[in-house]
Amino acid sequence: MDIAFSRLESEVAKFVLSESIPAFANSFRRTMISDVPKLAIEDVIIYDNNSALFDEMLAHRLGLIPLKTNLSEYKKKSECSCGGEGCSLCESVYTLSAEGPCLVKSSDLIAQNPDAAPVTGEIPIVKLEKGQKVVLEAHAEINTGLEHAKWQSTLACGYKTYPVITIGDNCDACGHCADECARHVLKLAKKSVEVIDGKLIDCSMCKLCEKACVGSGWEDAAIRISSDNTKFVFVVESDGSLPVKEIMTYALTDLKDKSDSLVDVLTNISGAL
Amino acid sequence: MIPVRCFTCGKVISTEWEEYKKRRDAGEDPRVILDDLGLERYCCRRMLLTHKEIIDDLNPYQ
Ligand code: SF4
Ligand code: SF4
Ligand SMILES: [Zn+2]
Ligand SMILES: [Zn+2]
Repeated sequence: MDIAFSRLESEVAKFVLSESIPAFANSFRRTMISDVPKLAIEDVIIYDNNSALFDEMLAHRLGLIPLKTNLSEYKKKSECSCGGEGCSLCESVYTLSAEGPCLVKSSDLIAQNPDAAPVTGEIPIVKLEKGQKVVLEAHAEINTGLEHAKWQSTLACGYKTYPVITIGDNCDACGHCADECARHVLKLAKKSVEVIDGKLIDCSMCKLCEKACVGSGWEDAAIRISSDNTKFVFVVESDGSLPVKEIMTYALTDLKDKSDSLVDVLTNISGAL
Repeated sequence: MIPVRCFTCGKVISTEWEEYKKRRDAGEDPRVILDDLGLERYCCRRMLLTHKEIIDDLNPYQ
């Protein structure tokens, strides 16, 4: 199994996973989406709110704000020694107090722990007119995307199989397929059509080129699209709460732990028989 | 108020609203603005394209 990055930044990663199988690629994707924990606001205590937004609406907007997460600093509430009551090990506390006229932004959300501040201070929360006031306290906790989408640290996170384009000897370089391709993958060479260097990965496997080729009169299309089931092109984006690299390593470790414990259980059962 | 995130993919798009509105009202082509703001998926683009701000209409009825 091998991973080759074509792009790796703190919020976006593009890579090709090769010598793998579809089952692994999909478990990897699902683990990144739903099993990587992060902080999000869960409880909001509202002391004062006469803005145009209901309390529930405010709380909902607060919950969606991505918060910088240091996974070594916080524990899941259910696994904390406080027994779920909430303490500094499993909760991060924020206060917000604003009086109109103003636009309340995520930068007005003051974190007790600056390491768990909102990823950006520019998220508008509510617009206040003169005389309107919002005073509240918010508690963020660690959980996973499995519980609620606000705890999901990935945005676009998906893969496709690696495209394979085969061009047969019966190609007469008529160019219909190249004209049809919306991703501009194909170009016309002297004797037949060719894949443009480095463009193969852009092919969406829509097979419009195949149809165009059949349409131009061949019994069998000279161009055939298939996919390599051992190679996967991934895109992973993060909302900023965790760097993409951490999401990937956490997901891989988590998968490994789970399969290890499955093996343990299976050996126990088979040993007991 | 503009939704905090894109409904479909979850990208935070509300941060771009003020600039989008300003430039759109100045007569710029929304397509150019959205490209500039780095919103490449159409789910995120429609969030700004189709948003109507109504908080100012609601405010008098508090
Ligand atoms: S399958 Fe679609 S994207 Fe790929 S080469 Fe053919 S027309 Fe282009
Ligand atoms: S449409 Fe078929 S015959 Fe024409 S260039 Fe493409 S592959 Fe060759
Ligand atoms: Zn605790
Ligand atoms: Zn989107």
